[in-house]
Amino acid sequence: MKRFLKAQAMRVIALSFVAVVMAVGFASCAKKAPPVKTVTLNLTSWRTEDIERMNRVNALFTASHPNIIINFQPVNDTEYDANMRAGLETDTGADIVWLRSYDTGRTAYDGGWLYDLTKVIPDLDKFSPAAVKAWTAADGVTYGVPSVGVTHGVYYQKAIFEKYGLKEPATWDEFLAVCETLKKGGENVFAQGALDDWTLYEVVFSGLGANFYGGEAARQDLMAGKAKLTDPNFVAAFKAVDSLQKYLPKGYEGLDYVSMQQMFGSGQAAMFMGGSWEIGVFEDLGSDSSKIGWFAPPVAKAGDKLQYCFHVDAGVGLNKKSKNLDAAIEYIKWVAGAEYAQAIMNELPGFFLYNPVKVTLSNPLAQKMFDAAATADNTVRTVWEKLSAQSPSGNSLMGVALPGMMVDKYTPEQAAAYVQDQLASWYPPFKK
Amino acid sequence: MKRNNGNIDRRFDRLRPWAFRAAFLLPALLVYAVILLIPIVDSMRLSLYSGSGLVPTNFVGLANYIKIFTEESFSTHVWGAFRNNVVFFLIVTLIQNVLGFFLALAVTRAVKGAAFFRKVSFLPTTLSVLVVGFLFRQMLNPIWGLLGNYPWLGNEATALPALAVAVSWQFIGESILLYAVGIDGIPSEHLEAARIDGATWFQETRHIVLPALMPIVGMVTLLIFVGDFTQFDIVYSMTTTMANPRYTTDLFGSLFYRAAFSTPVRGGWGMGMGAAVSTIMVFVVSLGVGIWYYAFKGSRKGEV
Repeated sequence: MKRFLKAQAMRVIALSFVAVVMAVGFASCAKKAPPVKTVTLNLTSWRTEDIERMNRVNALFTASHPNIIINFQPVNDTEYDANMRAGLETDTGADIVWLRSYDTGRTAYDGGWLYDLTKVIPDLDKFSPAAVKAWTAADGVTYGVPSVGVTHGVYYQKAIFEKYGLKEPATWDEFLAVCETLKKGGENVFAQGALDDWTLYEVVFSGLGANFYGGEAARQDLMAGKAKLTDPNFVAAFKAVDSLQKYLPKGYEGLDYVSMQQMFGSGQAAMFMGGSWEIGVFEDLGSDSSKIGWFAPPVAKAGDKLQYCFHVDAGVGLNKKSKNLDAAIEYIKWVAGAEYAQAIMNELPGFFLYNPVKVTLSNPLAQKMFDAAATADNTVRTVWEKLSAQSPSGNSLMGVALPGMMVDKYTPEQAAAYVQDQLASWYPPFKK
Repeated sequence: MKRNNGNIDRRFDRLRPWAFRAAFLLPALLVYAVILLIPIVDSMRLSLYSGSGLVPTNFVGLANYIKIFTEESFSTHVWGAFRNNVVFFLIVTLIQNVLGFFLALAVTRAVKGAAFFRKVSFLPTTLSVLVVGFLFRQMLNPIWGLLGNYPWLGNEATALPALAVAVSWQFIGESILLYAVGIDGIPSEHLEAARIDGATWFQETRHIVLPALMPIVGMVTLLIFVGDFTQFDIVYSMTTTMANPRYTTDLFGSLFYRAAFSTPVRGGWGMGMGAAVSTIMVFVVSLGVGIWYYAFKGSRKGEV
């Protein structure tokens, strides 16, 4: 036994010796060749759906920067924020991180983990100021490249609309008339549920309600404490959402988000109030732009200007402690440029880039969503900025009030009062 | 144990110093302390801090607890989770104990197929809770589910019971297993004697089987209690961390997860508050186990 061990030990020593000699040999060989050091940058986001598409986009970067490989490692949406923070805090984080807009992304900057991009991105002043603001701290430092915006509106199945001779409605009355016709025809009017807390608020209230409460101007007044959610214009928005209750499918109380998408994408309902990011989802379910159409949120009265929710969704930030900071800066400069913008808009129709460059949209639905913004007053989700910085956040309160209203637990007035009162427990301008 | 081997034990005591025993205990104790005890104590420490991030750094004393119990927007969630947990526990206990007991009676009879059913009943227990949750969510889907258009998971009155049924379905195999073992352990002479004396099936069950199983009832209930008051997976997989609809399926486990790990946008309260919730959870579970210990003291003594 002992002898065997000895022989084994000798063998290990001999092998190590050979390995060292070989390594030295290779190293001296490498010296002769031009120094090529490949760097791998880790990139993280909450878009687990897009791994292949993102890899195709990032391959373009590697094509022009052969020494830099991008390793895209997204994390499930609901766990993303905790995960990203934990990574940055423990020095195990990705080099490049996608950031949510406003307060959620800002906590990463406030923690001292993000790189100041103000001087790195040359054309930052050419980006839309409203978008830059979503990733700029109080001290004026921009820590994220404003990257992706999304819009909200109404998808419809063309075949069902044609069957009843329906046109895309422009006003709320026309919209309700369309709903009524479809309902009388025995169709599922909407593939919409009230189970998941966020869809009614983020898409339906912020998207379709904005025309009633008065879009960006009203949102600014609300943040400043000059307006309340219990004011008539906001209550009108709650009422508008409530008026759609009778057009929801049977069992809508228990219909979750993914089932909603599947129901509409497979053609089982006429309309779906959704986000621009869903173009790809519906394509995968067999409803591409030849089968479905899209219209902007109907205005309250004929002649009103569209109040359009063009929400700042994702910024791209840089981990200050990245071990390959130079390479990461190269990447983020590229993210702010034309090639990235065009590539993302090709791969992910419905994700609109803020980059101040000219791009072409290949998807007709995406084109329509994008065009709507040109003539509208654009805004973001109602209680996203400032009003969701602390707990109980405006977002989570809306997630209780709106589903509650849709199952007749609250009247529109009570739903509005619920959110307003709870926010008043911490939001300074509401306190007085 | 001690009573039977008393002599040997005492001899050991004389021969070996106490340090010898401690040395044997130490490795296990060390592992237990490092992976269980220290994290629990550390999370209790964290509950006294506030601040953003993974490790909050501002010492605030008991402020987190005061906030939790006095501010309505927090206390409603904690009391809601407590109430839901109690209801959840009662439903699961009822199903797993009562149904589990009768099914155990059935599988221990010499009926055709009993042995097969006994094995099959344990299968769901080997699944992941996430899989079970997903399965039930699909079955209860109002559009293409098996149980019609009724919004089982969207109605406050049925959502929590639906979760309890899913968990009971998964773990009833454990109850059947434990009860069946207990029934197998009852000396057949007792049952024979009863039958000769003309006892009915009901009397037999009531006066012989049930008393013999009381310690197991206690144990099963305790397992359910600890499992349910730390339950998280079923909420996560069936009604998300937001405990839809409107937090009515919120249990301590999901509340803790949301409070500690979510951002305020998604209902988070910060790590310090989350640690406070988990400390309350530890307290509730310890209290429950303590109560169980006294409640079933008698029956455990009877066993010896």
